[in-house]
Amino acid sequence: MIKAQITNLKNEAIGEILEINEEKTLEEIRAKFLGRSGKLNQLTKEIPKLAPEERKNIGNLISETKRTIEDALWQAKDKFRKEKNKEEWLDVTAPGIKPPEGHLHLVTEAIREISAIFEGLGFQRSRYPEVEWDWYAFEGLNMAENHPARDVWETFFIEDFENEKYGKGILTPHTSSGQLREMEKYRPPIRMLNIAKCYRRQSDMSHAPMFYQFEGLVIDKNINISHLKGTIDYFTKQYFGPDRKSRIRPYHFQFTEPSFEVDVTCLICQGKGCRTCKQGWMEIGGSGMVHPLVLKNGGIDPNLYSGFAFGWGVERVLMMKYGIEDIRLLFEGDLRFLKQF
Amino acid sequence: MNILISDSWLREFIETKATPEQIRESLSLCSQSVEKITKVGRDFVYDIEITTNRPDCLSVYGLARELAAILPRVGFQAKLKGVPVATLNKVTRSLPLQVKINNQNLCPRFTSLIFDNVQIKPSPDLVAKRIENSGIRSLNNVIDISNYLMLELGQPMHTFDYDKISGAKMILREAREGEEIETLDGQKRPLPEGTIVIEDGKGRVIDLCGIMGGKNSEVDESTKRVLLFVQTYDPVRIRRTCQALSFRTEAASRFEKGVDPEGVGLAMKRATLLFKEWCGARVASHLTDIYPHPPKEKKISFSQEKLNSMVGVEIKISVVKEILENLGFTTKAKTKNTLKVTVPHWRADDIDIPEDLVEEVARIYGYHNLPNALPPLTSLNQTKNPVFAWEDKIKNALKFWGFTETLTYSLVSQEMLLMADLKTKDHLKIANPLTKTLVYLRTTLIPSLLQILANNATEESIKIFEMANIYPPQGKDQLPDERMKLSIAASGEQFFQLKGIAEALLPELGIADYEFSEANISLPMLDKTKVTQILVNGQSVGVLGGINQEILDRFGIKSLVTVLDLELGPLLKSASGHKKYLPASKYPPIIEDLSFEFPARTLVGPVIQSVKEVSSLIKKVDLIDSYENTRTFRIAYQSLDKNLTDKEIKPLREKIIKRLSARFQAQVKGVL
Repeated sequence: MIKAQITNLKNEAIGEILEINEEKTLEEIRAKFLGRSGKLNQLTKEIPKLAPEERKNIGNLISETKRTIEDALWQAKDKFRKEKNKEEWLDVTAPGIKPPEGHLHLVTEAIREISAIFEGLGFQRSRYPEVEWDWYAFEGLNMAENHPARDVWETFFIEDFENEKYGKGILTPHTSSGQLREMEKYRPPIRMLNIAKCYRRQSDMSHAPMFYQFEGLVIDKNINISHLKGTIDYFTKQYFGPDRKSRIRPYHFQFTEPSFEVDVTCLICQGKGCRTCKQGWMEIGGSGMVHPLVLKNGGIDPNLYSGFAFGWGVERVLMMKYGIEDIRLLFEGDLRFLKQF
Repeated sequence: MNILISDSWLREFIETKATPEQIRESLSLCSQSVEKITKVGRDFVYDIEITTNRPDCLSVYGLARELAAILPRVGFQAKLKGVPVATLNKVTRSLPLQVKINNQNLCPRFTSLIFDNVQIKPSPDLVAKRIENSGIRSLNNVIDISNYLMLELGQPMHTFDYDKISGAKMILREAREGEEIETLDGQKRPLPEGTIVIEDGKGRVIDLCGIMGGKNSEVDESTKRVLLFVQTYDPVRIRRTCQALSFRTEAASRFEKGVDPEGVGLAMKRATLLFKEWCGARVASHLTDIYPHPPKEKKISFSQEKLNSMVGVEIKISVVKEILENLGFTTKAKTKNTLKVTVPHWRADDIDIPEDLVEEVARIYGYHNLPNALPPLTSLNQTKNPVFAWEDKIKNALKFWGFTETLTYSLVSQEMLLMADLKTKDHLKIANPLTKTLVYLRTTLIPSLLQILANNATEESIKIFEMANIYPPQGKDQLPDERMKLSIAASGEQFFQLKGIAEALLPELGIADYEFSEANISLPMLDKTKVTQILVNGQSVGVLGGINQEILDRFGIKSLVTVLDLELGPLLKSASGHKKYLPASKYPPIIEDLSFEFPARTLVGPVIQSVKEVSSLIKKVDLIDSYENTRTFRIAYQSLDKNLTDKEIKPLREKIIKRLSARFQAQVKGVL
């Protein structure tokens, strides 16, 4: 009697499983037959009422039926999954959904790169006025008014703007104007890195009226020319690559003595000599040992301390690196240009 | 300043086996930079940049003198040869010339000599070629002599037609107001006051001294008697005149850098020789030589200790002596390691201090022979200025939020100021602008950004920012209030997008407490109805708003523009990397949504604030839906100590409803 009930239940379940056409109905069938209060469990409750010799057989039969129904459910589920996979399709080559795309200016990137190199040598960044007095830009740097050396710095003057003590107001034409300000602010040892906007009255492919310079200043006891050479060579190799060489040659600035011009091996011909360089070398900046008068003007005793300074344009090296022919592109705000970097 | 000189000419004064290429290399490394060598016929021409401190090198002979010191250090024998000259004999009958110098400072040394029997003709070929290799046109033998010797010895000179000088009389004086001169090139030039000039017996100005001679006294084809002038002038006066006239000649470029008065005699004797040889001329006067204050010899102490401490290696005293002497210095041993050094007259202007002697020794020894060493790090006094790291962080955030950084000129045009409703008088102005577009120092970055938006009209949605100084004036003798701004601009109605940028950026800077003021403040350029100020600790750190329509029209911008304009100074003063740790609650929050209907135009900011203030158990209040005047808030209640039950939340909810009703006349519409 109970045996027949079990078999009927099995057939009923399998029949229903075969007929369904929606995956979610499988769970209903599972509940109906195998759930806690499902049909099979109802029959299980009958077992204690049976004769002891029958109990084991019927128990086995129920377990077997349970397995059969479960298998049927699994197979049905598997069938649905396979069908579903056949329908679903993902074009993995379609473009991804990007986060918003922004761009930093090339000059910002260059400043970061340069700062990181010098910070590794213990230099600290400083920032000083762009609108500056003549004293800091010229007079205090050993360049009196009417000195021919001033010609190089084609200076913008500000109208009706003068300080009794510090002279005329100008737009600083070089970062060297930060030297005396740094000395007024800190006592040696000094390792300054001043990266700033500078201004000169000139405009052509390689000169913009506004540009960036960076200036290093080291003042301590026993600082010598070899230290200057070593620092510049370290920068050259870090910034331009380990195969680059640097050298210094005699030059003249009023605020350093001796003064040097800094050359690095040409980026284009690797030092072999080409149209853009001078026999394999490119001039990239100026440097020198801080003039004792400048130390004095900064309140530092030149008998106790010595120092060196160097500086050059940020854009020039950028232009070489990216093959940009006109420096003025950097400041024109053409988004087609800015969005390339 | 660059000079061009011929190799063959150089070798008239220096005997060496070094090739032109070797000369270029060693001269560049140890003295003046040779930028180029060009082959011209069988000769070579060096293009050399001479630094302003070395006018003694602005000549063939000066460079030969340098090479005599440099070449032996790089393994070449080199012998400096003398300059061929004529001896100046007394003449029996001297042609007259009366000279009066009004102010001796104008002309430290004045020499002149008259030649008779001068035959004007072309110069010898070699001479003409050398002059032309140096970029100067060969004219005739007399004029060429002055140019040839300027190049050879660095001493500019001038020749007059003696017969054109009225009364054989010259007065050297300062020009007076209103005077002018027609110079040799046929140009009439007004004479700035204080310019050094010469007038003749008739009171005519016949020479713009040190710059260019007068047309009225020039040597021409029929000249028979020549007055030769070899002088030095006050460099500052020459320079001022050149600047005032925007006119500079080869001679003036030399005089303004300083010409050695001690070299005048040699140049005069050398010129006399050439007048005899090239023009068949005869000396027809005594030498006039007015030289009241010859400079004293300069002596400087040299210490080997100083040298070694400055170059970083030890250079032997015998090497030092050899280098200095080859350069024309004389040395006398004071102690074992110190010297008394006498400066040669041609270096009197640029050698002043012991450091100058160190340079002389070090450059000839060779900078390339010094090691590369890093300066020892003894200690660091400077503390890192955190501003730079914050600026970098802000720029990075904006980049990754989709903004493009721009970099525009700090100087703007008058037109731009007017378009932006700004007043020129509130700006510092450049006295000598280069172009009309770069005249005023800006006091805001917004117009520059608007210009970019206008110029890039074809781009669809523009999001840009710039971080740069502005320069509001603070009086005529005080530097401007130069301070850093961060200005962000986006095309379109982007008020809440840029507000979101501010709300994301401030917490990135560790600033949690900030508020936005209510609208209706009048700010330049911004639309009064769409503007708010951002306050941190009650202080304004910037504004957010839409650019008013009139300004957009003036800039020719078709879309709306929203800007966020921040003051970095006060913002970074409040910035902090410090974060507060709060333990997370072990008990889940209970979340419910409350809807209210408000009277029209109720500001939602204060509503949210009021809800938050009801209880510390209210952890979060978000505005999740707005429809007409209905606002739905999602409120999270959470306790650190226990699971909250509805019994505990009920009074909080009632309090919220009561408070919003009392403060904002809000009607509760639903609780979910």
